[in-house]
Amino acid sequence: MGAVSDDVDTLRLWRENNERKSREILEKWRETLGKNVDKLGNEVHVILEQVCLAALDCFQIDLAHICISRLYKEFPDSLRVKKLEAMCYETNENYEGALKILNEIIKTDPTNSSARKRKVAVFKAQNKIIEAIKELVEYLKIYMADAEAWQELSELYLNEHDYNKASFCMEELILHNPHNHLLHQRLADVRYTQGGFENMELARAYYCQALKLNPTNLRALYGLQMVTSSLAVSSRSTPQKKKDNAHLAQWACGEIKKLYTEKK
Amino acid sequence: MTADLIVDHEIRLWVFLPIVVITFLVGILRHYISILLTSQKKVELQQLRDSQLILRAKLLRENAKYIPKNTFLMRRCAFNKEEDGYLTQKRPANTQNAMTDPSVMTDMLKGNVTNVLPMLIIGGWINWMFSGFITTKVPFPLTLRFKSMLQRGIELSHLDASWVSSASWYFLNVFGLRSIYALVLGENNAADQSRQMQEQMSGAATNMPQDPRVPFKAEWEALEILEHQWSLTDIEHNFILNNSN
Repeated sequence: MGAVSDDVDTLRLWRENNERKSREILEKWRETLGKNVDKLGNEVHVILEQVCLAALDCFQIDLAHICISRLYKEFPDSLRVKKLEAMCYETNENYEGALKILNEIIKTDPTNSSARKRKVAVFKAQNKIIEAIKELVEYLKIYMADAEAWQELSELYLNEHDYNKASFCMEELILHNPHNHLLHQRLADVRYTQGGFENMELARAYYCQALKLNPTNLRALYGLQMVTSSLAVSSRSTPQKKKDNAHLAQWACGEIKKLYTEKK
Repeated sequence: MTADLIVDHEIRLWVFLPIVVITFLVGILRHYISILLTSQKKVELQQLRDSQLILRAKLLRENAKYIPKNTFLMRRCAFNKEEDGYLTQKRPANTQNAMTDPSVMTDMLKGNVTNVLPMLIIGGWINWMFSGFITTKVPFPLTLRFKSMLQRGIELSHLDASWVSSASWYFLNVFGLRSIYALVLGENNAADQSRQMQEQMSGAATNMPQDPRVPFKAEWEALEILEHQWSLTDIEHNFILNNSN
């Protein structure tokens, strides 16, 4: 009994911390939880959902089906269980079926954000990036303050080499969370990839900002070094700017070297 | 003199403890009744969109200094365009009035059923049933001012103020059982009357479906007057300065 409640506690901890840990969850299910489903108490349904997701991650369709049918017995009309069923279809690569269920969910509850997100995932799994983008844009028209969705959209645009729009999404992310150095670095990456004098200058500024927030961001250091060294030889730079850029490039080089010697 | 006053132990058995038990059980009952009665609040898609829109506009306003000027202007334009910007779009006036919307009315009725009625009925019953007892004594001296608070139902001018009458004991219980409820029923329970009353005072206005045009107008104005200053303009020079020193 002690082992069961311990496992229940661990699972709850993972749930609360948003840790996926699918393999570990399945292990726990096989060892203790699966044999003691009736003793799980209040949390039995949440645990079943968690196990179901883990099973889908590890392609154990049978186990997922068991969880879903148990949940259906308890909540025949639940949209949450329906979403799990759709995800089951997804894992089986039956995308048509998954889409049908998801559309049903959205029809009954237009505010269901997770179903809309799943739809994007379905399109992405089929490599229909354009459709995924369209769907995600529709989603963002409603849920404008969803930072994760903006991030996903920027990734999708990057897949399509649409750097302008990707950088727009990254800026949106920076607005949401201006103190995350990775976002600044990412935007700088996008700008640097875009190329052109203005974009390079922007990239330089954002690399600097990323470094200001986290002086050990190696990727930003490399980026800064590359941006500044190409700006230093750019024909549109004034002599003073060239000097500054060369100086910065030199400094970035030094920092990179310093970081590596520290690591050794 | 007053220290010699000895309270019959029957009072403890038949007044003091019953009041505690009754208020506690009534609280538990209220909790479950309100669970039965509450209807799931349906969120309107439009309402959701509006709140997210305002959130985004607020973020733009607060963190605009982290994005370059042209992109900021682009965003502001999207929000504040004269014709169909997010914040300036025309939409049919929200005619939904609290009094005409039946769901709001039933919600209010349910609130009253679980809030006010038990308060009145149980309070009145306790007052009638256990009136006129001295139930307990607070272990510290109090000034005369507290007499009206602690000795409701007993008009004895010579009684020490630290004695508590039965009716007042009931009110002390009503307000004091909050942490016990939290222990038994978990957080966010509906058993606590005092919290419910606070909500009734302050929450009545905020729970109403609001007309989005008012906050939209405020956001529009705030964005309109915002002076954009890019915080990264000089970052390279600061960097060079900081690092060469």
